[in-house]
Amino acid sequence: MSKRIVAENLALFYREAARCYGDLPAFATRKRALEWHPVSYRKLYEQGLDLATGLIELGVNAREHIGLFGDNRYEWMLADYAVQFCGAADVPRGTDVTDSELVYIINHAGIRFAFVETVELQKRVLELRDQLPLLKEIILMDPNGHTENGVKKLVDVLNLGSGLRIEGDRRTEDRMTDIKPEDLFTLIYTSGTTGTPKGVMLTHSNIISQIKTLPGIHNCNDRVLSILPIWHVFERVIEMYTISFGGCTYYSSVKTLGEDLRNVEPTFMASAPRVWEKLHERIIKGVKSSHPVRQILFHIAYYLSKQFKASEYYITNRYLKLQHQSRWKHWLMLPLHILRWVMVLPWYGFFNVAVLERIRLGAGGALKTTISGGGALPAEIDQFFNNVGIPVLEGYGMTETSPVISVRPSNNLIVGTVGPPLPETQIKIVDPVSGNVMYPSDQFPYGGRGIKGEIWIKGPQVMKGYYKEPELTKQTIKKGWLKTGDLGMITHNNCLKILGRCKATIVLSNGENVEPEPIEMRLQQSQYIDHCMLVGQDKKFISALIVPVLSEFHQIGIPVNSGKELIVNHPEVQKIIREEIRRMTSNGSVRYQQIKDFRLLPDGFQVGEELTNLHKLKRHVIQEKYNHVIEELFASESI
Amino acid sequence: MEFSTQLLYAHDQILLALMIFVIMLGMGASLTIDDFKAVARSPRGVFIGFLSQFGLMPLIAFSIATVFNFHPAFAISLILIGCLPGGTTSNMFTYFARGSVALSISMTIASTLLALIMMPILLGFYTSGFTAQINAEMQASGTGTFVIPTGNIVSSLILVLIPVLLGMVIRRKWPDWAKTAEDTAGFVGIIVILYLVFTAFTRHGSLFLKTPVEVYIGALGLGLIGFFFGYWFSRAVGMYPLFQRAISLETGIQNGPVAFAVILLSFHEPVQSQMLWLAILYSTFIVITSSFITLVFRSRGQFDWDVYKNVTIHNRLFGKNYVTSYPQGFLTKRLINDPSQGTSPAQKRSVAQ
Repeated sequence: MSKRIVAENLALFYREAARCYGDLPAFATRKRALEWHPVSYRKLYEQGLDLATGLIELGVNAREHIGLFGDNRYEWMLADYAVQFCGAADVPRGTDVTDSELVYIINHAGIRFAFVETVELQKRVLELRDQLPLLKEIILMDPNGHTENGVKKLVDVLNLGSGLRIEGDRRTEDRMTDIKPEDLFTLIYTSGTTGTPKGVMLTHSNIISQIKTLPGIHNCNDRVLSILPIWHVFERVIEMYTISFGGCTYYSSVKTLGEDLRNVEPTFMASAPRVWEKLHERIIKGVKSSHPVRQILFHIAYYLSKQFKASEYYITNRYLKLQHQSRWKHWLMLPLHILRWVMVLPWYGFFNVAVLERIRLGAGGALKTTISGGGALPAEIDQFFNNVGIPVLEGYGMTETSPVISVRPSNNLIVGTVGPPLPETQIKIVDPVSGNVMYPSDQFPYGGRGIKGEIWIKGPQVMKGYYKEPELTKQTIKKGWLKTGDLGMITHNNCLKILGRCKATIVLSNGENVEPEPIEMRLQQSQYIDHCMLVGQDKKFISALIVPVLSEFHQIGIPVNSGKELIVNHPEVQKIIREEIRRMTSNGSVRYQQIKDFRLLPDGFQVGEELTNLHKLKRHVIQEKYNHVIEELFASESI
Repeated sequence: MEFSTQLLYAHDQILLALMIFVIMLGMGASLTIDDFKAVARSPRGVFIGFLSQFGLMPLIAFSIATVFNFHPAFAISLILIGCLPGGTTSNMFTYFARGSVALSISMTIASTLLALIMMPILLGFYTSGFTAQINAEMQASGTGTFVIPTGNIVSSLILVLIPVLLGMVIRRKWPDWAKTAEDTAGFVGIIVILYLVFTAFTRHGSLFLKTPVEVYIGALGLGLIGFFFGYWFSRAVGMYPLFQRAISLETGIQNGPVAFAVILLSFHEPVQSQMLWLAILYSTFIVITSSFITLVFRSRGQFDWDVYKNVTIHNRLFGKNYVTSYPQGFLTKRLINDPSQGTSPAQKRSVAQ
């Protein structure tokens, strides 16, 4: 009963969806907790055609870049439909875009037409207008907002097109069939970098390959709750995927998530680690505030489930296999696991039904699977959800790979990995220093499984390149292989495990990228700071490890013969460094790049140890050596 | 086969009484006044369920007892189990089997109340032959006479309803405790059944061997045949899958604790131990068979359940007049006339148009 539609390009895909799923709801917008407004596939398609005709009438060309600045809402989707029908590509960004980013993106992408979601954003764009010589038309999405200074309303453009179509205008149909698979469907500017944003060019064939190869069995009975920002390609692919099986996407928000989970009872959901952390926190809080007898019942149920699942994973060979396991040991352990499985089964069965089901109701109760992406899911959260019976399919990817590279399917769910690569996707593990291929390779035992290195990928989802950055593109993609900058290994059951990053870029848990090098360079200009390294991968904020210039502190009155430890723990020293950080980062840094906390390291970085011959930081070495310090830095991070 | 000693000692009986109390309390704690009102809202389903529970089940029990030529004490026990109302266990299993929990609860309420009238009538009707047999034996050996203690049965049924009412009061006043009571009830039920089987095993080790094989077949078969007939009977009269599964489970799964209460309070030796033994066997087997049936229902019922859920949620969020129009060929033939399976008036109207 499960079926997925495919087409050559996104525009034809949208048309096919309208043909197959007609009057089923495609998107639903929340008015109140129990009042949602649905739009059918057919209506969305027809409105899309009208809006596209309106845009063509205004002068939108095929293959041109259209700005799409807004957050998840029906009009966003409608605008996307129209842009695809015009044969153009959109340049999406959320309403939290900064002014400087707006100016950069609009000018770099050569945007002449831009959709803005809200009146505030309209005002901001209008104020920046003299810096935006190319921008011709601004279209406001919010149907209730007031337009000014020649800004057009989306409804008016739609009505313009609608009138033309009634008169027989069929220009959109020609545009749709004219789209080539290698044409862009979107141009996404990566966020939050200190350097200039990079425009990732994703093509119709990129996204169509994702829709085709994502694992999952869904049909038009499925309800999908959407909470991630639509301008992240991960959320976008999930929405396209939902269209492919005729499901309905319900637009929720972090604030109303708990309520919406109960009312919509989604069967599928994509989210970032943060959402899982919050949900986990809420469930634990619920358990803790419940009756003591129920708490005990929960703990028994959870314990049993853990034992049961561990044995089940062992028996079905679905556990994290970082090292090769000898066959005789496997045969020795197998009967023990089978015994435990059989013994726990009836008890687990009962507690699963009586206790864990209520926990699952907290997440809507109907979730078949959920998919997590956009950062590493903390291991204990991952295990928690799998143990209570909400399978989380963790995936791995990046904007440059539109975005999914690998994901663990529900029938092969190995906790701790990000699953096998998608079909048609190849993975290489390469030594980041020497450039030797470690996997797949005959020179290493077990074909190179279990060896750590940089992940390179080749497949239909790899981007066309960075817009107007041929040099950077060449550095990133070599002979079709994209260097991800992530460290990982292939486990002994052929899944990918992510082990960190070899590129300096830090990705925070909210998905923002931080380039640490410019900030570190600024900090090192301080007379008190010898070296420093920013940390915060998958965390909520960034922090710094700092090697102070010890001699400087003797001059301000701290005794010369004091031990290193004493100096770095001196409150006066701590205060000076804190002041220095504030001073050095005060100008131009945006909020999430502010350094929240730091630790002083008594021992300096040594060449050959923590530093390369060129005095560059060996980040993974420092990361491993000062792991305890880093953990301490983020220990206070409240989930 | 005869029991040389009592199957259950006094302290076991107290334990059993406690278990009955806890389970019936849990049952009450899961019920609200609204559930009672719901009975009136789906009279058709409840009526079919009634026919299935009080029409089919006693007949199945009687047939098994007759075909296998049961010892009269076992026969009476099996028929007694066949005449029992449903309990909360079936509601839980129905939930997991993707059946209509609302119907299951309505049937539980209706059958529990109706049992006060139906049980004495049915028991008297189906057991008359077996009672006469015991009576003749007892008179021949000069140990007295035997009749079905109708008055005692009714009063023990009323007695069992007291903790149910108490549970309902708890639900109203202290909802948090009610949830705990519900959870505990299910857990206690399984523990005590295991305890009884275990003590029977250690104390009367040879009991398992001495029990005639047809008694095992009867204890196992009663539930299974009940599931089967409940499923197909409700299908034959045109119930949709969601209700079919609820009726099937409600028919097969009887309220075991009520059986224990009735046997302990109304019957005496020499038949009591034998009757209890069959009740224990039935309770043990029914947990296993219904788990199995639930898994089968759950996987087979996935599709129509998804349709039902989706349609219900559409009506909840988009307004009760919203009609979900699935693409042609998506719904199966049985669902096409009524994708909502009769639960949502708006969706039904769409078919009429």
